[in-house]
Amino acid sequence: MKPSTVKIKKMPSRFKHQVPKYKVVRSSACISCGTCAEACPHGVHERTEGHNKVKPPIDYKCIGFECQNNDFYCVAKCPRKALSLTVNPMYETLGDYRWTADMITATWIMAETGYPPERKDLEYNTGNSGGGFDKLRLKFPAGRPKIDKFEISTEIPLNRRNDGRAEIVISTPVYGGGMSFGSVSLPTMVSKARNATIWNTFTCTGEGGYPEVLEPYDNHVITQVATGLFGVREETIQRVKIVEFKYAQGAKPGLGGHLLGEKNTASVARMREAVKGTSLFSPFPFHSVYSIEDHKKHIDWIKEINPHALVSVKVSTPNDVDMVAVGSYYAGAHIIHIDGGYGGTGAAPDIAKKNIAMPIEYAITKVHNFLKDEGARDAITLIASGGIRSAHDLVKAICLGADGAVIGTAEMVSLECVRCGNCESGRGCARGIASTDSELADLFNEEWATQRLTNMYHAWNIQLVEILQKFGMKSVRELVGRTDLLEHIDYSE
Amino acid sequence: MPKKYHIHPKLMPLNLNSLFKFKIERGENCINCGKCTKVCIYEAHKRGKDDPRKMADPNTMVCRNCFRCIQECPRGALEKSLDKDFLNIGGSYWKSDIFITLWKQAEDGKVPVTGAGYRGPFTGDGFDSMWTDMSEIVRPTRDGIHGREYISTSVELGRKLNHLTFGDKGQLLSQIHPTVDVPIPIIFDIPLDNLSPNVKMAQVKAAAELNTFIVLPVKEITPKIGKYINNIIVLLTPEEIDKHQGLIKNARIVALEYTGKLEKQLPALKDKIKKAGNALTIIRVPVTKSVEGIVSRLAQGGAEIIHIVADYHGREIPESAGESYRIIKDIIRAVHLKLVDDRIRDEVTIIASGGIAMAEHVPKAMLCGADLTAIDLPLLIALGARIYEEPEKIIVLPDGLEKITVKTVKQRMINLMSAWHSQLLEVMGAMGIREARRLRGETGRAIFFEEIDNETFGKLFKKRETKNV
Repeated sequence: MKPSTVKIKKMPSRFKHQVPKYKVVRSSACISCGTCAEACPHGVHERTEGHNKVKPPIDYKCIGFECQNNDFYCVAKCPRKALSLTVNPMYETLGDYRWTADMITATWIMAETGYPPERKDLEYNTGNSGGGFDKLRLKFPAGRPKIDKFEISTEIPLNRRNDGRAEIVISTPVYGGGMSFGSVSLPTMVSKARNATIWNTFTCTGEGGYPEVLEPYDNHVITQVATGLFGVREETIQRVKIVEFKYAQGAKPGLGGHLLGEKNTASVARMREAVKGTSLFSPFPFHSVYSIEDHKKHIDWIKEINPHALVSVKVSTPNDVDMVAVGSYYAGAHIIHIDGGYGGTGAAPDIAKKNIAMPIEYAITKVHNFLKDEGARDAITLIASGGIRSAHDLVKAICLGADGAVIGTAEMVSLECVRCGNCESGRGCARGIASTDSELADLFNEEWATQRLTNMYHAWNIQLVEILQKFGMKSVRELVGRTDLLEHIDYSE
Repeated sequence: MPKKYHIHPKLMPLNLNSLFKFKIERGENCINCGKCTKVCIYEAHKRGKDDPRKMADPNTMVCRNCFRCIQECPRGALEKSLDKDFLNIGGSYWKSDIFITLWKQAEDGKVPVTGAGYRGPFTGDGFDSMWTDMSEIVRPTRDGIHGREYISTSVELGRKLNHLTFGDKGQLLSQIHPTVDVPIPIIFDIPLDNLSPNVKMAQVKAAAELNTFIVLPVKEITPKIGKYINNIIVLLTPEEIDKHQGLIKNARIVALEYTGKLEKQLPALKDKIKKAGNALTIIRVPVTKSVEGIVSRLAQGGAEIIHIVADYHGREIPESAGESYRIIKDIIRAVHLKLVDDRIRDEVTIIASGGIAMAEHVPKAMLCGADLTAIDLPLLIALGARIYEEPEKIIVLPDGLEKITVKTVKQRMINLMSAWHSQLLEVMGAMGIREARRLRGETGRAIFFEEIDNETFGKLFKKRETKNV
């Protein structure tokens, strides 16, 4: 499958307004002459025929101060100097250090248009966390790129063991993270699977069972076997091409999954074979695994049940993550998926999100080098997650040594998540993404959501291809471990 | 198996606070259509009580920042901003978000659980520049299948022997020193001077219910408070020892402030205290540049328990103005390592305080080398107190606090400690450490930013030495 064959379609926000970065104020000096409405090509000002007054400005459509250089800049054009432009105080309430308001806004634009934003006033490649990816920069060589974009491949193989199991190749080095039914709504899950199918990549069920509606997308679904074993059955293992063991999750390393009672509705409980309304805490650790030998037993068990499937092992990032990765390789895993401490979650104790285990940036380097020293690097696929927010993060992760990445929050933001962090309790997500509430889960349909995801993947792929082109590479596989293409603003010149 | 330690939280709202993070304002172009009441699942928007034709002012207390009202208002009439009063509380150390989480924990006593990943800066000063480790595949040595019921958070205070000596016939010759067990590695430090009687009493009662300690100056120990002597650390000056023999007799622990003279007087003072009863002695040492030297000398001189006291944002007290200062994380590490170098670390107990603001600071202080911690401000924040760091330290207690019952005030503090205790269990469980006393100085189970960043990015990106040099 070629990324260029993916169909992009404009898919606007499902809300009337978006969160504005700027504030355009019309003072009482306005005489409703309509000059601004005629001038602004972005539709900030509107004057309906037959109305006396110009409508209040639509802030979110404004492109901000960069407009000053345009001859249609409304503030300058207004004959009565009745217009003013400022930064909207509302913008500060959106986003945080890791996912800045600019990053969220840009992801929304990507999900709407399928392309990176044309606006220059959004810093969306890096966040504001002051460390890790946010301190790394790509070092592009001087000169014009000599490679044609159409020659560039973004596909990566997932099975490098030559063991006769499925030779799976994904078309873009990204796939969707595990989100269980219960933590997110069914439309969210189905849209993720549909998008994974369009992009010839994968999505993951998380640990809450395998809803029947995913059947048409079986070839692009990873099913998870996590410590709670919720909804794990032989037939779910046999349906898929990849099975993932979830030992731990970056946002809550050393703790099991959390699904608070209010979100455990009748349908969720049925899927999980649990009692409706009770909080479900998966245990930690796997009580059948106390050594790497036990771990091998686990992997052998899956391989026995499904003779074609690849096995992925998802772990978080303790100090000895490199040893765990090598252990998983020797136990027969195809994919080692490391999930960094700052990763996403539908519910986790705040203390765990911030304090336990290391951020992914360190872990990638550690694991990549250790696997290399062990001579095992070429025989296993290293997937990183937990803080991959943008195409630039993805490229940086690959330069540090990953083969590809898993994303979760970026997908949610494409569906208009604002990262308010209220997914854990009550009826769940007020915006209908991470909710199983009968009313909230119907706030959007799968067509809309699938296209938003497809668009966002498309924008990332475009950025990825452009970066590869600048580096003069024909395949994303050439990028793996190229730390020489990065610089760190604290250490480099 | 000893009886399990339980803290019993109870939902305990305190309606003295009206501080909120977000401010929503309804503009004049609102047409009172009521769309916002339909879309808000937190009920921030309601129609007016007196006049249902009009919308009431938004109830921002319940706003969870979901943006639905903002985005769905047909007129775009709603505006939201960060509340200025909220942003002003705290400062560079006591960040405004800390207040929100501590208030909530004091209300329900639960571990704060939220959705979405971590949202803060990559690292910060002090405790924010370290992570605790975890165990991926757990070794059978861990509690494993038994789970966290078997994790013990108790720590011991007192002098320990470096080794035991036995006689020819195998009889024990060493005299074992008495110790005191605390079920959580947190004691309450000296309360502020100007607290109302109900708050003072509640603090003492909370310490008693938790079976930990509160440090109280001797003048504060009225007969009514004296009933809780089992959970009081009596703070006095060397001169006051003679006068308060009765109190010392009943106390389990007493505390003395460090002075230059004290080092010499210590053996004599300890004898005096021992004569009155069985109380252990804490020496409180303010953290200055020379703290590790002082602590080492005190330990060599026979001190049992040493309490290092940094200022309220965990900083060293500079000897002269404008001097640089260390912060609590590094101070504890320096003290711990000095004692390790002097081969005396295992013999003394170190309490650390100053800047212990959140649950995570307790295990982190212990990983750095403290045996336990002491807190004061979080207990007041539990009651709705606000701290301002700039231009100078101000603590504002909510109006009407003096009229709240002792029971309510006490429960708020118990709730906070319950939440902290549960969070300590989470961190220890993830680490695979079953005994809180094993956390002490266990830097192998911690990840320090400076080290790992340099090891990873420093190695990769530091400008290579020029060839041929």
